[in-house]
Amino acid sequence: MYRRPATMPPTDFAALATTRRGFLRLAGVTASFTTLAQLRAVPAAATEALSSTSFFSAAEQEILTQVVERMIDSDQPGAPRVRDTATVPTIDALCGSLDPAITQPLPTLLHVVDYAPFVFDLCFKRFTRMTPAEQDASLESWMRSRLALRRQAFMALRNLSFLGYYSQAETWPLLGYAGPLLLPKTDPT
Amino acid sequence: MITKLLERGGDLEERAEVCVIGSGGGGAVVAAEIAAAGHDVVLLEQGHYWTKADFTQHEDQMLPRLFEEAGMRQTADGAIVILQGRNVGGSTVHNLCYALRTPDPILAMWEQEHGLPGLTPEALRPCFERVERSLKVKPILEQEVNELNRRIRAGSEKLGYSGFITKHNREACVQSGYCILGCSYDAKQSMLVTYVPRADAAGARIYANARAERIEAGSQHLKTVSGSVVDQSGRAMGRVRVQAPIVVLAAGAINSPDLWLRSGLPNGSGQVGRNLHLHPACMVAGFYEQPINAYRGIPQSYYVDQFINLERNPRSGYVLMPIAGFPVLTSVALPGFGRAHSRQMRDFSKLGGLLVLLHDRSAGHVEAGSSPGRPKIYYSLEPDDRRLLAEGLVHSAEVLFAGGAQRCLVPFQPDALELGRGDDLGAITKRGVREGEIVLNSTHPQSTLRMGGDPKSSVVNAFGESHEVPGLFVADMSVFPTSLGAPPQITTAALADRTAHHVLDRWKELVS
Repeated sequence: MYRRPATMPPTDFAALATTRRGFLRLAGVTASFTTLAQLRAVPAAATEALSSTSFFSAAEQEILTQVVERMIDSDQPGAPRVRDTATVPTIDALCGSLDPAITQPLPTLLHVVDYAPFVFDLCFKRFTRMTPAEQDASLESWMRSRLALRRQAFMALRNLSFLGYYSQAETWPLLGYAGPLLLPKTDPT
Repeated sequence: MITKLLERGGDLEERAEVCVIGSGGGGAVVAAEIAAAGHDVVLLEQGHYWTKADFTQHEDQMLPRLFEEAGMRQTADGAIVILQGRNVGGSTVHNLCYALRTPDPILAMWEQEHGLPGLTPEALRPCFERVERSLKVKPILEQEVNELNRRIRAGSEKLGYSGFITKHNREACVQSGYCILGCSYDAKQSMLVTYVPRADAAGARIYANARAERIEAGSQHLKTVSGSVVDQSGRAMGRVRVQAPIVVLAAGAINSPDLWLRSGLPNGSGQVGRNLHLHPACMVAGFYEQPINAYRGIPQSYYVDQFINLERNPRSGYVLMPIAGFPVLTSVALPGFGRAHSRQMRDFSKLGGLLVLLHDRSAGHVEAGSSPGRPKIYYSLEPDDRRLLAEGLVHSAEVLFAGGAQRCLVPFQPDALELGRGDDLGAITKRGVREGEIVLNSTHPQSTLRMGGDPKSSVVNAFGESHEVPGLFVADMSVFPTSLGAPPQITTAALADRTAHHVLDRWKELVS
C-alpha cells in the first residue's frame, strides 16, 4: 500500500498545478488559507501525529468525514452515522492502494475544501466549522462551479464518499440490498 | 505456467517466438491458438492474476482490483468515465456477456469503405464458430430472464419495439448477478477460464504484473518489449524484457495506441490513436412500485434494437440495454448529493435502469501520457450523436414507464430530471445531451489502430499486421475500422482468432 512520505507537505499544490492548469488559479487563491492549516489551531483530532498506516492525516480524515456526512445526508432517520462505520478507513485504504499519480492531489484537495468558503462563498468559516446547512451550500457551490476542475474535484470527493459509505454492510438494510451471496467478507490478499 | 511476478519478485528476462501484450478478449485468444499449435509464446499482463476465490462480491474490493485506474479512467474533460479491465482476462472478467456476432452490414461497410474484402460473414464463420464453441455461447433461456429484463421486455413489446433475448457465454450460471465484479463461480466463460487456461496448458508462459512500456522494432528482425513489473497501484517493482520476432499488441484501444506512440513506432498514416469511438452510454433510472431487486439474476438478457437499423444506415443508431448495479455503482450513477441523492438510494431495491448505448460517429483520440499507463483521452460528441443520445433517453423512459415504472430519473448534472407517469418526455430533449452535464460512461473504446486496406488511412491490414512493421500485430478492439454498433466481445475474439491463424499460416516467413 502506498503511504504518503512523511516529508510530503499536506498542501502540495504543485502536484495539482502540474496536472491541471485551471487548478493553478484555484490553488493560488487558496494556498494562503491552506497554509494556515499548518500553523493555526485545528480540530483536536487533527493534532494527532500523521498515522504511519493512513493515507490521510488525522486532520484530513476529519475533513473527509464531514464531507462524507453531507454527501450522504447523515441526518436522515435510520441511516448509520459515518463515524460509526468504516467509511473513512475504507476510503483511506483505497487511496493508499491506488496509483499515487491519481491520489496524490486528494489530501490537498481536502484542505482546499476546508478553506474554500473563504474564497468562493465569502463565508468566514472553514468547512469543518460550518453548520450542516452551510456545508451543503458550500458543496453545492463546488458542484455548480463554472470552473470545470472544481466540478471534477467535487465529483471525485462525491464518488469516493459513496464508495466508502455504501460499501458498508450497515447501510444496506436502508437500501433494501440483501448483500453478497458469499459471506462473510473475505480478503484473500 | 501463470506467474504472478509480484509474488515471485525480481526482473523478467525472456525470449520467445511470440510475445503477446494483454490477456483480454483478443490477446488471450491469440496466445492460446498459437501456443496450441506448438509454438513458444510469452503473454504479458499488467494487471494481477485474480481467480474466482478472489471475487468477493464486495464493490470496494473488486472495483480497484478489476478496473483500469480503479474505475476512475476518464476522458481529459472528465465527461465520460471509461471502464476497462486490468487483470488476467481483461474486460471479459467484468463484462456482462452479450455474445453477438459482428453485424453483417458493418462487415459490408468495412469491406466497401475500408478495403477489407476478406472480412465477410462467410470468411469469418470458422472464426466465429471456434470462438463461440470455446466460450460456450448459447441462448439465454426464458426462465433465466430476471425481473428487470422481463419488465423491459414487456414495456418494449407493449410499445411495439423490436428486441430479443440474446445469447451469452455462461455455463451453469447460478444467477447471483455479480458478473460485473468477477464471477465467483467460474460460470462466466471469460478469457480467465477459457483461453488463458488453454494457453497455459499448451505451454505459454503467462506473466501477471508485467507492464509493457516500450516496443523496439528497430531494423532487426527481433523485436524487444521492455517494461516494468508493477503492483496494483502501477508502481514499478522490477524490469521486464522480452525478445521475440512476432509481437501482438492487445492491450485495449486506449493502452495499445498509448504504447505504440510511447514507443515511437512508425505512424505513416497519422492514424495511430485517432478515430476513437466509445459507444458512449447513458442510463435512465426507473423506479417501480415494489422491489424488483434488479441486481439479482443475469443482469442483461434482453436487447432492444428498434433504434438501430444497420441495413439502412450502418453508421448510426443506438440500442437499449437493461442495467442494474450494486449500491456503490448505483450511487455514483445517480446525480447529485445529500438529501436528494439519498432519497433515490432509499429506493435502490425498486430501481432498474435502461442504458442507451450509442453507435457513435463522433471520433476522439488518444495521446501518450506523461507516464506509462496514463494516456490522455480526448473525445467530444458531434451534434447528431448528442441528438441521438437524447432521443434514446426519451425512448428509454418510454419503455420503463410502459414496463411499469412509476417514475424515471434522467441523470442530468447537477440537477437530475425526474419524470412521473404521463409527464412530457420532451423535457429530456429540451435539456439535451452535453458532455459534463449528464452522466456518461463507456465500456467499449475502439478503433484507435484501425484496420484497412490502404496504408495511408489505416494502421494495420486485414489480419491485424502493421502496414509498416512486419511481425507487429494488433489483436484488440483498436482494429475496428469504425464503431461496431453491437457488443464487441465476439467480434474482438473472432478477429483475434483470424489473426492467430494468419500468423500460423505465415509462420516460417514471420519467424525466420
